[in-house]
Amino acid sequence: MRSIYRYRHRIRLLAAAALFLFGSTLEASEDPYLVTYSHQMEEPGNLEIGLNEVAGAPKGGNSFLSSLLELEYGATAWWTAEFYAEGQSTAGQSAIFTGYRIENRVRPLMREHWINPVLYFEFETTNAADKALKEIVGHDTYADQLVPNAVARREQDREAELKLILSTNAKGWNFSENFIAEKNLAGDPWEFGYAFGMNRPLALAARPAPCSFCRENFRAGFEMFGGVGTLREFGLHDTSHYIAPCLQWQVPGGPTFVVSPAFGLNRNSYGALMRFTVSYEFSQFGRRAQRLASAGPGESR
Amino acid sequence: MRFFALFFALLFAVSAAGPPDRNPAAPQSPDVQAGEKLFREHCAQCHGALAQGTGRAPALRTAFIHNASPDFLMGVLKNGILRRGMPSWSSLPEPMRRQIVAYLKQLE
Repeated sequence: MRSIYRYRHRIRLLAAAALFLFGSTLEASEDPYLVTYSHQMEEPGNLEIGLNEVAGAPKGGNSFLSSLLELEYGATAWWTAEFYAEGQSTAGQSAIFTGYRIENRVRPLMREHWINPVLYFEFETTNAADKALKEIVGHDTYADQLVPNAVARREQDREAELKLILSTNAKGWNFSENFIAEKNLAGDPWEFGYAFGMNRPLALAARPAPCSFCRENFRAGFEMFGGVGTLREFGLHDTSHYIAPCLQWQVPGGPTFVVSPAFGLNRNSYGALMRFTVSYEFSQFGRRAQRLASAGPGESR
Repeated sequence: MRFFALFFALLFAVSAAGPPDRNPAAPQSPDVQAGEKLFREHCAQCHGALAQGTGRAPALRTAFIHNASPDFLMGVLKNGILRRGMPSWSSLPEPMRRQIVAYLKQLE
């Protein structure tokens, strides 16, 4: 109690800053995928904070919970930047930080087309204990992730990843296809993967009255993702693949939740994974942060 | 654990904030009412709660919008004006975009 009293001024200042920065929200209409990207970009100046959880209990290994903190910022209407910090906890082993990712998505065409391309660039520094399953490439299999944390964390990977995102919105549906190429900067060959998904809202028109549980606030669909080998060994041999139904609930003026169990499609895949995401979008974060930074100490109170 | 508790407390505290003040000239048609609701959820942050405009985006209570054809407004909503910061709302189904246009057209 005494320590709280001692820091009360700082707490007040932090609370004031939080209210100033996060004082209003805006709802994007997002897609419920956890691996697949669509051409939906973050609104300019908005910051989305998300927490992505993946839980699994693999055969022959210990159950785990992977957590990924996501910060997504709309730099412009055609450019979105993201930062991820990730970690995991494995039963009977340890809870460790596994690395971070920085990504950028750019829409080269300024109008809506039947197929809308988005170019994706990512740099990631993760260790081999990473279990976020943010994408599957090359010959990634669940057996790779049975290595104990104490051993796996010693292997550091620096990778660059490119994606071609193609996405279509038609008749309320979204169809998205991602082609993934990943390169370990230490010199391993290029690895390839894919992801695609489709979804639509449960109602195409909005009801007149405000409501939290009406169908227009839910989107349902599925995604499928997996690896297709490397530049030297292209193909489906020794690759893993998943199919994942997904359900999203967007609370009006509030957070967005996604629940998505993923099911392995071959013996190289986890049998089942439970995935869960909660995210929240803060409107005009960049502008508010700028104003806060330029305001004097007296003005910020 | 404390971090997550604080994170979720902040999320729900902010989400508990109510919508902005209602337009005194409340519209009657269900589509217009739904459009107003969608406008508040998706557009008001930049264009203002009453579409009066902000430093971020222009006012929509103008003769230009009032006289514009619904197809033109539908096109702007679908495509956005990406170079000038207006995002594309193609992810909203067409009936929802029509409801927003119905709301915009009756603004004076």
